[in-house]
Amino acid sequence: MTEISFKEQTVDLETGRVTYLNGGSGRPLLHLHSAGGPRVSPAIEQLGKRHSIYMPTAPGYNGTPGHARIASMVDLADLMAKFARGVIGSACDVIGESFGGWVALWLAVRHPDLVEQLVLEAPAGLRTEGTGGLPADPAERLRKLYAAPERAPKETRSAAVLAENQRMRERYTGGITLDPALQEALPRVKARTLIVFGTADEVVPVETTRRLTAGIAQSHLSYIYGAAHAPEFDQPRRVARLVGAFLERGEGFLVRRSEAG
Amino acid sequence: MRFSFFHLMPWTDLKEAPAQWPVSNSGFDPERGKQLYDGYIDTMVFAEQCGFDWVGCNEHHFSPYGLMANCNLIGAVLAQRTRTIRLAMLGNLIPLLNPIRVAEEYAMLDVMSGGRLIAGMIRGVPHEYIAYNVAPDESRERLREAAALIVKAWTEPEPFGWEGEFYQYPSVSIWPKPLQRPHPPILMSASNEESAEFAGRHRAMMGMTLIADLDAARRCIEVYRETARGHGLEPTPAHILLSYNTCIADSDEEAREYLSEGLRYFHRVLMHSIRDAQRLVIQRSRFFEKEHGERFVNRLVTLKERSIEEMIEAGSVLCGSPQSVVKQMRRIRDTLGNGHFNLNLKIGNIPDAVVRRGMELFRDRVLPEAREL
Repeated sequence: MTEISFKEQTVDLETGRVTYLNGGSGRPLLHLHSAGGPRVSPAIEQLGKRHSIYMPTAPGYNGTPGHARIASMVDLADLMAKFARGVIGSACDVIGESFGGWVALWLAVRHPDLVEQLVLEAPAGLRTEGTGGLPADPAERLRKLYAAPERAPKETRSAAVLAENQRMRERYTGGITLDPALQEALPRVKARTLIVFGTADEVVPVETTRRLTAGIAQSHLSYIYGAAHAPEFDQPRRVARLVGAFLERGEGFLVRRSEAG
Repeated sequence: MRFSFFHLMPWTDLKEAPAQWPVSNSGFDPERGKQLYDGYIDTMVFAEQCGFDWVGCNEHHFSPYGLMANCNLIGAVLAQRTRTIRLAMLGNLIPLLNPIRVAEEYAMLDVMSGGRLIAGMIRGVPHEYIAYNVAPDESRERLREAAALIVKAWTEPEPFGWEGEFYQYPSVSIWPKPLQRPHPPILMSASNEESAEFAGRHRAMMGMTLIADLDAARRCIEVYRETARGHGLEPTPAHILLSYNTCIADSDEEAREYLSEGLRYFHRVLMHSIRDAQRLVIQRSRFFEKEHGERFVNRLVTLKERSIEEMIEAGSVLCGSPQSVVKQMRRIRDTLGNGHFNLNLKIGNIPDAVVRRGMELFRDRVLPEAREL
C-alpha cells in the first residue's frame, strides 16, 4: 500500500477548536472515527489515492480540548456539519466507523444537503442494551475488536488520554447503546448508504443491520469476510475495494466491471 | 445405528485401464449412459424401501469413476421419486463451484424434498482441481470461505453483499431458502486429522472414507470430537459417518468373490489414471500438508494391495453374509463409536443384480440386528 502523508491541522469553529487529519487527494471524504479515536487505517490510506480525506477528532479525544456546548451525539453531528461547511466547503461522502457511524447517521438525518454518499462501518447507537458490546478486560477487548489482533494499530497514547477518551464517549452517548430518536429518524437519511459489517463482529449485533436496512431507503448491506468490529484494520484490502467501488460508482458498484477494461 | 446407501454411478464397460487422466470420452456411449442412469436411479430409489435412512451421492469429473458431475441433478430426481429417505449430497465440491449456486441448488433440493437434504461441503480429491482449474493451494481457504458464504446465503433474512478473499458478490438474496431451520445439516470430510479438525471447527457432521486401519481412524475421530467440543458442539455417534465399500451376499464366499472382482475393476481400471493425476497434484501443490499427502497416497496403495481377508481384518470393508457383516459392523462401532454407516454396494463393475440382492439382505437380515447397535 502506498504511504499517504496525513497532516494534523486545526480549525476554530463557533464552539471551539477542532483538530483534524488531512491526506490524500481527490473527491473529499469525511471520516468520523470510532470510540477508539482517530487512527489512519491501511484501508483509509488506500482510499486516500482517490479521495482527499478529512478526519476530525471529536472534541476532548486524544488530548484535544472539549467544547462546553458539544455534549451529545446530535451536538457532535451538528459540529461535524460546521466542520464540513467550514473546512471542506461542499457536500461530501462520509464514512462513520462504529461510534463515528452513530455521528454520521445524525449528520445525514439533520444535514442531508451535506452528505452525498454514506458508509457505515458497524455503526453504534442501534444496539439493544445487553447485546454485543465490549468487555472490560483489555485482552478480551482486543479479541472482540479484531479478528486478527496482530493487525491492530500499536497503542502509543497514555493511559490518561485513553481514560479521557472513554469519558468523552460516555459524555456524548449518555451511556446508552440504543438511540430511539435516531432509530425513528432513519427514514430521513436520503443518502445512498453502504452498511459494512465484519462476518466475525460480536460487538455490534446483527439486529443493527436489520434496523438500518429497514429504516434507510437506499441501503446496501455488505459483509467483510474475516473481519470483526474493526474491518478497516482486519481486512483493509477488502474494505478499500468495496468502499472505493461504492464511492466511485454509486449504485453502479453492484455491476461488475470487466477486468479487461 | 443409521445407514446410508451410497452410489458412485461408475461406468462399468471399460475393457482396459485408461492410459491417462482425464480419461478420453471417445468410448462413452450415450445410449448405454442412459441405461446406467436409469438403473442406478432405480437402485437408489429402492434404498428407501430397504430401510436406509439416507441415500447418498457425490461429485466427480472427467472420469468413468463416477457419472455425477453434478450430484444435485440426481438429488432432484430422488426428491421426486422418494418420500422419506434423506438426500445426502456428499457432496458438492464447493471450492470448485460458485458458492451462491450451491446455496441455491441445495435450498431447492431441501424445499422440493420437504426438508430432507443433508448438505455435504466437501474439498474433494486432488485431481478434481485440475478439472475445474482451481489452484489446489487455495482449496482449504476456499472451502472455509465458501462454507461461510453458503450458510450466510441460507440464513440472512435481507439482501446482503459479500466481500471476501475468493468471492465477492455485491448483492445476494436467494430464492428459495432452505426448509430446514436454521439450515440443512452440514457434513464435511474428516478422512485425515487435518480435515477432521476442519469439520470439528465448523460443527459439522464428519464423514470418513478410505479407512485403512482402525487406529488411524480412531485418531481422526478423536481430533474431530475434541475440536467440535472446543467450538460448542458435543458430537453424538450420529455425527460420525463412516463410509464403507460393502458386499453383502448369501454366503461369505460369494461376497468375497463379488467384492474381489468389483475391486479389481475399481482399482485396475477406474482408479488407474486417477492415481497419476492425484500424485501430480499432491507433488506440485500444497493440497495436503506433506505428511498427509504421503499418507493419502500410501492409504490408496495399501487398500489396493490388500486381500479381502486383510481388508476385513483391518476394518476397511464390510464383506460377507448378513451375519458376518453385522459382526464386522459391531466391531467397528465398538472401536470407533460411530452412529452411522454409509454403504457403497456398487463397487467397480459388481453386477446390479448382486447389489440388489445385497440390499434385500440388508433389509431382511442386517438391519433388524444392526439398527440397535
